[in-house]
Amino acid sequence: MGSKNKKIGIIVSLALVGGALAYLALGNFGENLVYFFTPSEVKAFDSGYYQKKVRVGGMVVEGSMEAYADRLGMTFELTDGEATIPVTFEGIPPDLFKEGQGAVVEGFWTGQHKFQSNLIMAKHSEDYMPIELKRAGVELPRKDFMKSLIQ
Amino acid sequence: MIIHRVIRKVQRFQGWFGGGAALCIIAGLYIGLIGSPPDYYQGEVVRIMYVHVPLAHTSLFAYIVLSIGSMWYLWKRDPIVDNMCHAVAAIGAIFTTLALATGMIWGKPTWNTWWTWDARLTSYTIMLMILIGYLMLRTFIDDSEKEARYAAVLAILGLVDLPIIHFSVEWWRTLHQPQSISMRGVSISSGILIPLMCMSIGMSLLFSYMLMVRTQLLYLDRLLHAKKGRLMSQFHMSKTDP
Amino acid sequence: MTSLYLRWGGMLIVAIVLTGLTYSHYQQHLATLSPSQAKAQGLNQEVRVLGMVRGGTLEGNVEGGDATFALVEKDSTISVRYHGPPPDNLRELKTLVLIGKWNASDNIFEARDIGLVTNYGFVVGAYLIGLIPLAIFLFAMSRRVGLLYEEIKTSKLYQEE
Repeated sequence: MGSKNKKIGIIVSLALVGGALAYLALGNFGENLVYFFTPSEVKAFDSGYYQKKVRVGGMVVEGSMEAYADRLGMTFELTDGEATIPVTFEGIPPDLFKEGQGAVVEGFWTGQHKFQSNLIMAKHSEDYMPIELKRAGVELPRKDFMKSLIQ
Repeated sequence: MIIHRVIRKVQRFQGWFGGGAALCIIAGLYIGLIGSPPDYYQGEVVRIMYVHVPLAHTSLFAYIVLSIGSMWYLWKRDPIVDNMCHAVAAIGAIFTTLALATGMIWGKPTWNTWWTWDARLTSYTIMLMILIGYLMLRTFIDDSEKEARYAAVLAILGLVDLPIIHFSVEWWRTLHQPQSISMRGVSISSGILIPLMCMSIGMSLLFSYMLMVRTQLLYLDRLLHAKKGRLMSQFHMSKTDP
Repeated sequence: MTSLYLRWGGMLIVAIVLTGLTYSHYQQHLATLSPSQAKAQGLNQEVRVLGMVRGGTLEGNVEGGDATFALVEKDSTISVRYHGPPPDNLRELKTLVLIGKWNASDNIFEARDIGLVTNYGFVVGAYLIGLIPLAIFLFAMSRRVGLLYEEIKTSKLYQEE
């Protein structure tokens, strides 16, 4: 290996680490801090957001999910405890999508108080137990997802 | 020096680490794959946790060892500590990559996505970048003393990422679930906790064993090169000096 | 070096035994049929059926553990009557595993319990990808250490000085 190649290698490796650290320290990482918006924030969107693909996270409201009978798809509501937004989705929801659980949906806020989603990601909590315990009513300590949304 | 005495003492038990790792992992695999119940919400997929979580937490432990070793090296300039740092960086990079890979496989059936740029996944990927940068830097610098010094500084700088990885799921909105074992308590029931602990202990022992083997490898390599170099120069001297 | 190969050979045998045990466990307890296969399977035999609850068909006292719905998988559909413990995972558009018997006289599947999708392809993938590279890496390192010791011994570098 020539000394020139080595110099390039050193620069590349320093750039890799430097870039990673700069990403942490400077703005870009901040974007990921708002990985998703809450329903309250979405309701406050101005028209500039209407054509933008965004992620919204919240709790799926109990009893709000209605599957279409004629095709694959459904409507449901997402809440953060303060505001609730209706969501429409075409397709099969993920296996862990469930009322009363967290979900992050990707799509567009149409401005007509409807969120059109094309991707649902299920957020599961950090508690794990066999079904027998769950049926017996055991509750393990876990972070309150709804509370963490409103800060 | 004290560190040499410690290394010699620990090295004597190297086989115990390897054997212990094998036992714990085999037991963990058996309990995890066959002897433990499925989760109420995720079903069988929860078994991926028994390999993903131990890999992930061992990789963080590896980075802690790397940064402590780097500080020690800058302070004492002991080449065997530098060999240890070099070794732990490579092992840490492998554990990090595998934790990412198994995490992706867990994410698809649970979250419904292989990858997403949330704070936990992003900060963890940054750790992998830092480790790769560290290893690359070491291969490209000729002077071994300089190589060790620069690499150590780099590793210590990268330490800022560690608390960010750990607390990302508590501080920010993420898709990744929060810590299961935290100030809130333990949110895993015993049937699922036992295989997880088995695999975690096994992975930590395996990591320690791998670290010993790799440090030895780098040390022997350095020794062989140094001796060969010295012999070569002696040979050269005897030829030119009649 | 011989002891190294012996040790790793032992580990390989243990790994093969574990794989076999896991495979037979899954075959015995977790294998599933499709709705049409369950129909063909006939009477008096408890089976596990995999399918998705069709949208708009779930009726009855779901929370209490009494419900009827249609289960689909590709083109085949069967009617299901569920009677059992309160189900935690029974909802429309959900893919799940039903445990029960086919009732030919009523042309309905009588389910007594609900299980989750096994998805064991992901589980197997994660274990293989997580563990095999580690094993290969460790084996390569141990072997190299052995070779280095031998090289140091045979090249007599230590006797020279």
